[in-house]
Amino acid sequence: MKKKQSKFSRLVLAAALMTTALAGCSDNGGGNSEGSGNANAPAGDNGGTGTEKAVTLKILHNWNGSGPGDVDMTPIAEAIREKTGITVQFDYTKGSETEKVNTIFATQDLPDIYTGPAWGGELDGIVKAAKEDQLVDLSEKLASYPNLSKAIAKENVPPALYDKAIGAFGDQQYLLYQNQPATDKDAMDWLYGFYVRKDIAQKVGVDPQSVKTKDDLYNFLKKIKDAKLTENGMPVMPLGGFSNGWAVGIGNTMFYGSDYQDKGDGTLEHTFFTKAYEDYTLYYRKLIEEGLLDPETFTQTDPIAKEKINQGRIAVLAAHFPAIYDATKEYAKSHPGSDFVAVGPLERAGAEPNRPVDLGIQGNNVTVITKACKNVDAALKLLEFLASDEGFLLVHYGVEGVHWERVDGKPVAKKEFFDKFAADTTGKEKKNAGIGIGFESLTGQDRTNTLGGDIWADQERIAAMDNARKILRPNGIKVISAYNAGDVIAKSPQWETLKPSMDRIGDVWKEAVFAKSDDAALKVINALRDQMNKTGYPEAIQYVNENLKGKEVVKLQMAN
Amino acid sequence: MGASLLWRRLWRHKLLYLFMLPGIVWFFLFSYVPLYGIQVAFRDFTFSGGFTGSPWAGLKYFRQFFDYYQSEALIRNTILISALKLVIGFAMPILLAILLNEVRHVKFKKTVQTLSYLPYFVSWVVVVTLMQRLLTPYGGPVNDLLVSIGLVKDPIRFLNNTSWFYQIIVGSDIWKNIGWNSIIYMAAMAGIDQQLYEAAKIDGAGRFRQIWHVTLPGIRNIAVILFILATGSLMSAGYEQLLLLNGPATAAIGSVLDVHVIGAGISQGRLSYAAAVGLFQSIIALVLILTVNRIARKVSDVSLF
Repeated sequence: MKKKQSKFSRLVLAAALMTTALAGCSDNGGGNSEGSGNANAPAGDNGGTGTEKAVTLKILHNWNGSGPGDVDMTPIAEAIREKTGITVQFDYTKGSETEKVNTIFATQDLPDIYTGPAWGGELDGIVKAAKEDQLVDLSEKLASYPNLSKAIAKENVPPALYDKAIGAFGDQQYLLYQNQPATDKDAMDWLYGFYVRKDIAQKVGVDPQSVKTKDDLYNFLKKIKDAKLTENGMPVMPLGGFSNGWAVGIGNTMFYGSDYQDKGDGTLEHTFFTKAYEDYTLYYRKLIEEGLLDPETFTQTDPIAKEKINQGRIAVLAAHFPAIYDATKEYAKSHPGSDFVAVGPLERAGAEPNRPVDLGIQGNNVTVITKACKNVDAALKLLEFLASDEGFLLVHYGVEGVHWERVDGKPVAKKEFFDKFAADTTGKEKKNAGIGIGFESLTGQDRTNTLGGDIWADQERIAAMDNARKILRPNGIKVISAYNAGDVIAKSPQWETLKPSMDRIGDVWKEAVFAKSDDAALKVINALRDQMNKTGYPEAIQYVNENLKGKEVVKLQMAN
Repeated sequence: MGASLLWRRLWRHKLLYLFMLPGIVWFFLFSYVPLYGIQVAFRDFTFSGGFTGSPWAGLKYFRQFFDYYQSEALIRNTILISALKLVIGFAMPILLAILLNEVRHVKFKKTVQTLSYLPYFVSWVVVVTLMQRLLTPYGGPVNDLLVSIGLVKDPIRFLNNTSWFYQIIVGSDIWKNIGWNSIIYMAAMAGIDQQLYEAAKIDGAGRFRQIWHVTLPGIRNIAVILFILATGSLMSAGYEQLLLLNGPATAAIGSVLDVHVIGAGISQGRLSYAAAVGLFQSIIALVLILTVNRIARKVSDVSLF
């Protein structure tokens, strides 16, 4: 009897263990919507009834380096929940965004909503996911969501992006689009360029604005090197950048206008096949060889890069203005006169000196609802609210009456919070309020200036940015609306075999820059050229030329 | 009859088999069950089709790899780096184990042992960050020391430099793994009958003779078996270490198959291609193990199977 009882207990224990194990496995990775919820009130009605069942949506914010503050439920997230009945759980990417896209679909570990870059391998991954039934077709629902529909209307999306992604699926509609400027005054110019420490330029006796040509830039860096400057006993490097070489390569525009060039007979060719690309590579090789460019820049991590900058060990930085201003603020504060000023403006290959700077200003973000989402209406309701003016103001400025108020109809930051945010160099205070976290990527078209400007930006920063703009944009800017050959080649039949070769261009350029001789550098480039030719480049570029015949094509473009 | 004999034997040694059970389960779950994924190398993987529903592609992705202009260099680099690690890295733990075995001061021996194990538990990310800090030519302590004692005139760029690449790769690999890999040899040495040492002493053997005639033969079998197993990793040079230590300046000699597979599979989303290259690595590794096993059996009578 005892034996039977023991056997029975063992069976019960085993069954309990199996059940627990199976229950653990039963969530198929979505880990998403709690119940069906009923947060699907009609679009446009952003007011919460308070009687709706709570819905939780998991959003993957696929931007490397983005992240929350120290609190999960921020005042802004709370306000969104009150308005929509939806609680948002963000998951932030640490590492490569492209890898993240490929991984979530390959492993089927899908969020309810995905939001991430509107370019490169990330966009390719999303387009592939749409083609392979991994996303929710929104075409029949969008009519009820005017803010979302407006952001993806054909006239509001750059034509190449529309053809490639937004409108690429016939009657189906999978991708939503964010952050494209709603009006010209909302266009964000990041002011990419070379910036030099003012005191170092003075020490070597060079006016940064006198540096115009590639030879001027080389001589300027040489002078800095020859001055043998040190900082805390360590040598000052003439030219450097941030992690993984960002963005020291932007000197390319002194050699060629954009990634595709007119061969002279009206047909296009990828710049990688041109003499200009070779000159650009050999110029940078010379900078490395002569110790003018930090050789660690292509392999260094972000903390090491910032440490060098904070210690004043980089004389000239290449990147966009906000990154340089933020990274050098501390050092400039403790070393008056050492703030960074723009160099140039430098010559632009193929552009008249009085030509406005051509910038590709467009939205940077696409959002999709994955097939794992159990409550598509709630997801759309949330996105529609965030894309509304009310949602935009809430996410970017904070809670009205708490973080900001209207003065003469214009939003003005409350002094208490302005001072608190300005004093916090870590940015955590702002994030703890809910500003500057994942919601910002979901607020539809960029209306920052239309709705009242960046109320949190400090005056010094605005003034410094205006100063850089005056130097780098003497003729203003021109927003590119032409077709980009890069988007067209991606639709060629040869793309599947050609893409792996073309993906190597950036790495091969770096290898060539570090080659032992000019000949060795050209050999590295030529080897990839041969591989591209073997994997379908000639046919693919012919496809591009046929498809872009008679169309306006991007031939001049600066980084932005 | 045969079956019942087998069961009787299993039952007789049930405790030993029980000890083996977790290992068998582990290998079954993590080494055998995932084998069904190999088919991805022969399919055009799609998100919707998954492992079993994607269309067949034959040998398309194997051909793509061999048509790739760097496939030869990738194979060459992988084998060269692995061979260097195998040849130099294989002997070092034996040497450390012998040295430790000869130490009579127990406290000192245990301290050295513990310190030598520690790097094994430090991730490559931390090791490489430390190396970057220590070896940088801009104020790194190693270069500062070399310059200050006059060994070099100008600081040396140790990292991202072809002249120092192999030394750094093999050296850091040995530093990280030497302690851990010596454990098994220490265990083998502990099992050597002490009477053999006594007999050798009586025959007039000194410390070196004892090592040569007693210790080394005592660990010979385990060393051969570990060497056979190590040859299986000749096609795998170490993903994390190479990913972190290889830079654009060393790409020509430092690009290896493991990093290529990860890059193609996860960064580019070419899962079938990555699986094909991975399978190619595994097949070569299997052939190597079988070959070395056969040679070992002929030469030393010691083999895995």
